[in-house]
Amino acid sequence: MSISGVKEFCRPQSAGNAVELLAKHGNRAVLLAGGTFLHGLFSRGLGSGVEVLVDLQHAGLSYVNEAHGGLALGAMTTFRELAATEQVQKMPEFGALLDSLHCPPAQIRNQATVGGCVASAYTLFDVPVAFLALDASVKSLGPQGPREMPLEKFFVDYFEHSLKKGEILTDVLLPKPAARSASAFLKLETNSNDLALLNVAVRLSLDKSGLCQESRVVLGGGVGKTPVRALSCEALLNGQRPSRALFENAAQKVSADIHPVSDHRASGQYRRAVAKVYLRRTLLRAAERLGIEIA
Amino acid sequence: MKHSLILEVNGERHEIAVEASATLLHVLREDLDLIGPKKGCDSGGCGCCTILLDGRAVYSCMVFAMSAQGKKITTIEGLPKDGKLDPLQEAFIQSGAVQCGYCTSGMIMTAKEFLANSPAPGDPEIRRAISGNLCRCTGYHKTIDAIRTAAFSR
Repeated sequence: MSISGVKEFCRPQSAGNAVELLAKHGNRAVLLAGGTFLHGLFSRGLGSGVEVLVDLQHAGLSYVNEAHGGLALGAMTTFRELAATEQVQKMPEFGALLDSLHCPPAQIRNQATVGGCVASAYTLFDVPVAFLALDASVKSLGPQGPREMPLEKFFVDYFEHSLKKGEILTDVLLPKPAARSASAFLKLETNSNDLALLNVAVRLSLDKSGLCQESRVVLGGGVGKTPVRALSCEALLNGQRPSRALFENAAQKVSADIHPVSDHRASGQYRRAVAKVYLRRTLLRAAERLGIEIA
Repeated sequence: MKHSLILEVNGERHEIAVEASATLLHVLREDLDLIGPKKGCDSGGCGCCTILLDGRAVYSCMVFAMSAQGKKITTIEGLPKDGKLDPLQEAFIQSGAVQCGYCTSGMIMTAKEFLANSPAPGDPEIRRAISGNLCRCTGYHKTIDAIRTAAFSR
C-alpha cells in the first residue's frame, strides 16, 4: 500500500484524545481503524493532502456491550471479535450480521472493524447492509460532545457520510430485537476477497398471529450510491403470512426500489435480475432461522 | 521524517527507524531482511504477505509498521523450533504443495492460525480458511492436502 504523503503517526489513548487530534490537524489527518480499506480510499484519490494518520487502536473503542436490551459495538471491534460474541453467534435476530461477517477471508476478519466499514461509507461493503436491516444507529463524538443518528441517515453518497468535520464514529448501536424475529444476508461476489456485485439483508418479524411486521429489506453492492431500503418490498410483506408466494411477490417488486449501476464488474440489468433471486433466497433463509414452515 | 519504533519479530526485539507511511511488509522485507512474506498485490488481495500478529493472520501490506508496536509478530522464518521445521512446513514439503512458491509462506501462515483454532477440519473448512490466499499456479489441491495432513498428524 503506497501512502507516501503521510508524515506523522498519532496513537490517541481515548476517543476524546482522537477528537482533539482531528481538531488540531484538520484536513491533514485521517483516522486509521483496521486499515484494510485505506489503500482503497487513497487509490481512488480520496487521500490527497493527508499527512497525519490517527491510529484508533488504543482509543478504548474495542468492546461489545449490552445496552438497553440491544448491543453497543465499539468502533474498533474487529469482524472476528464481533462474530465470536455469544449474542451474534446464537441469536437468529442477528443472523444477517453473522452471515455478513463471515464473507471476507480470515485476514480481513482479523483486521477490519465495525467502525471502519461503516465510516468508509462505501456502498459495496457487506456489514453495513446487515446493520441497516437491524435498524442500527451510530454514535459519534465531536468537539460538541456525543450524538446519535440512525444509520440510514448516516450514508449520503459514495464515500460520504453525515458526520460533521472533527467528529469520529465511536459506536454502532443495535436496538433490542423484537420477540419473534430473524435476519439473514446473502452476497453475490466473483471470489471470496471481492467486493459485492450485490448483497441483500432482510429481517422478518412476526406478530402474535404469525403475520409479518416491521420487515426490513436492504440491498447494497451497486444498487445505488448508498445501500437502499426496499420500501415497497417491506410494505408488501407486512401484515402477510410468510409463504413462498409472498416471498416471490416481494422479489418481483424489488426492481421498483433499486437503481442498479452498470460498471466493469456487472451491468445494471444483471444486478436487477439477480436482485430478485437473491432477495427470495435471503427471505427463505431468514424464515428458516425463524423456525417456521413455509408453504 | 523517520520515527523510532520497537518491533518484536519472531521473539526478537528490533529498534528501528521507519517512515510513518511504511507498511509492516515493507519494514520486514527491507529493514529486517525477512523475505518470507512476499509482496504480491500490495493491496490486500492476494495473501502472499500473510503473517501472524498476536497469533492472528493478517495481510502485512495493510498494517502500518507503526501500528505493530507492542504486538508479537511472527513470519514464516519464526515457525521452525529448535532447528526443526514446523509440522505445517513439513506437510507442505511432503505433499508437494509448492509450485512457483510465491504464495506458499502466506498459505502456511494462514493455515497456522486456522489449525490453532480448528482441531479436526473438513476440506470445506480448509478451503474457506485459505480463501484470502491466491495461488496463481492454481495448485490448491495439494495445499489443501498439506493442511489436512498437518491437521491430522498432530
